[in-house]
Amino acid sequence: MKRLSATPWGVYSVWHRHAKVYQRTWLVNFLPPVTEPIMYLIAFGFGLSPLVGDITYAGQPVSYLRFIAPAMIAIGVLFQSFFEGGYSSFIRLNFQKTWQALLTAPLSFTEVFLGDWLWAATKGMIAGTLTGLVAVAWGLYSPLNLLLSLPLMLLGSLLFGAMGLFTAGSVRQIDQINIPIFLFIIPMFTLCGTYFPRETLPPVLHAIATVLPLSSLIDLLRWNLGLQPYWWLQLLWLVALMLIFLSLAIRKIYPHLVK
Amino acid sequence: MLSLTTQTTDTTALVAYDLYKQYGDTPVVQNVSFTIHPGEVLGLLGPNGAGKTTIVGMLYGGVAPSRGFVKLGSIQVQSDGRTARAKMGIVTQEDNLDPDFSVFENLLHFAHHYRLTGKAARNRVGELLAQVNLEDHAKKRIDELSGGMKRRLVLARALINHPHVVFLDEPTTGLDPDARQEFWKLVIALKQQGCGVLLTTHYMDEAQRLCDRLLLLQQGQVIDQGAPDELIQRTVGKEVVEIEGVDEAKLQALAAQFNTWCRPFGSGYLLALPGYTPLWDYLVAAEPQRLTRRLANLEDVFLRLTGKVLE
Repeated sequence: MKRLSATPWGVYSVWHRHAKVYQRTWLVNFLPPVTEPIMYLIAFGFGLSPLVGDITYAGQPVSYLRFIAPAMIAIGVLFQSFFEGGYSSFIRLNFQKTWQALLTAPLSFTEVFLGDWLWAATKGMIAGTLTGLVAVAWGLYSPLNLLLSLPLMLLGSLLFGAMGLFTAGSVRQIDQINIPIFLFIIPMFTLCGTYFPRETLPPVLHAIATVLPLSSLIDLLRWNLGLQPYWWLQLLWLVALMLIFLSLAIRKIYPHLVK
Repeated sequence: MLSLTTQTTDTTALVAYDLYKQYGDTPVVQNVSFTIHPGEVLGLLGPNGAGKTTIVGMLYGGVAPSRGFVKLGSIQVQSDGRTARAKMGIVTQEDNLDPDFSVFENLLHFAHHYRLTGKAARNRVGELLAQVNLEDHAKKRIDELSGGMKRRLVLARALINHPHVVFLDEPTTGLDPDARQEFWKLVIALKQQGCGVLLTTHYMDEAQRLCDRLLLLQQGQVIDQGAPDELIQRTVGKEVVEIEGVDEAKLQALAAQFNTWCRPFGSGYLLALPGYTPLWDYLVAAEPQRLTRRLANLEDVFLRLTGKVLE
């Protein structure tokens, strides 16, 4: 089987299958990315904001809600794309055998892989966009900011989707997906400048948090508040990580399907 | 020396040539060659672990051969699997139907992978559901289907593209006798429509009923091949005797005397019964606890060739 051959139709056809499944339960699927950020914004907006007040970001004072809104978008992107690439792809690969069924059709491994990856990224985009719309409705992010942030959300979705697929190809039991979640996703979620500026962390933790990809994504999504001086390095870092995890995911999943 | 038919001028025939597969240092398929012609059912018969599923995997590109190749007409599967699979139908051992979709949707969405969409796809799905007698179950979810219905749906899925050749990997394993009979009718219909079929099975009756030719496999190697009746006649003869309660040495002596063979079988022994000999009378005279005379079958062929019962 030619590993690298792919046609746009083949990739679309796999993506289309996942989209049709999603469409069946779209209301349930739309709820988490809409309600979660609303809950967080209510909790932090009415709960923490009066205590925290304004915080300094990129040398200027910013309201706490405006500070966390872009991070909420990044979190939506992270969770939805990673979980789709991790859990859902693992189930399709090991329990439902969907990948195996698709490979009895005139589809190549690459088409099935890319279809799954792009679907994971699509879920990240949906979550990020819906969260962004909540932020826009709340007056925390302008519609133009959201529109211009879509390419960044796509990059983040592709990266975290590839990480999810790498996880799906690496673990042997579904419970083992918790390992990267507890060792990688949760620490990113808490340390990467989501709820507080990373500068308040001790130097070692600050350095570790800065190289984690979510930090770069959050910083870039805060471009309307000001960019880091090394923002282009952050962009390159996300692209490089995406390519690395994409390659690792292919290497891990291919042997599951072509013996 | 087995005869290997690997050259054909038929542009729709499937040719497997010198297939060899090893995992690590362990060979699981060794030097297997065959051709499947249109309208022919070729059976791969062997016990679990004989390499049947690995061979099927190599035929459609799910398993990369260590050596050898597969061609469908002029298309080489190993270098252009996608094009080859557009002309193949594949029924794998596992029911990998899509639990997220209904019966109808399973076929409709699979048709999409063949660029069959819209009204044409819905019409084709309707035809297929009628063909496999699932019209009345079109709206059901997959978990509402019986085992036999699921197998028929997987077969329907494999036929979406009007394939030249269909691979059926142990398609009736776990089905009740009625469901097996139902499935057999569909295989016979495929053959009558001119479709080439490769059937792997460890059921003797299935192989004998459906297959035009058989490859007998053991430990990844072809140990004999031919039409079922020819294999039985050539290897065993017309009749066999199952016997219990007689000393093995005595039976072996009788077998040698009448130039036939004797193998342990169940709780007794099995002897091929050559025509025009008084062996039967000798066996009756030995006063066995049980003595059964019957027509030989493929299980006896396998027992003769390997000394083992097919499981």
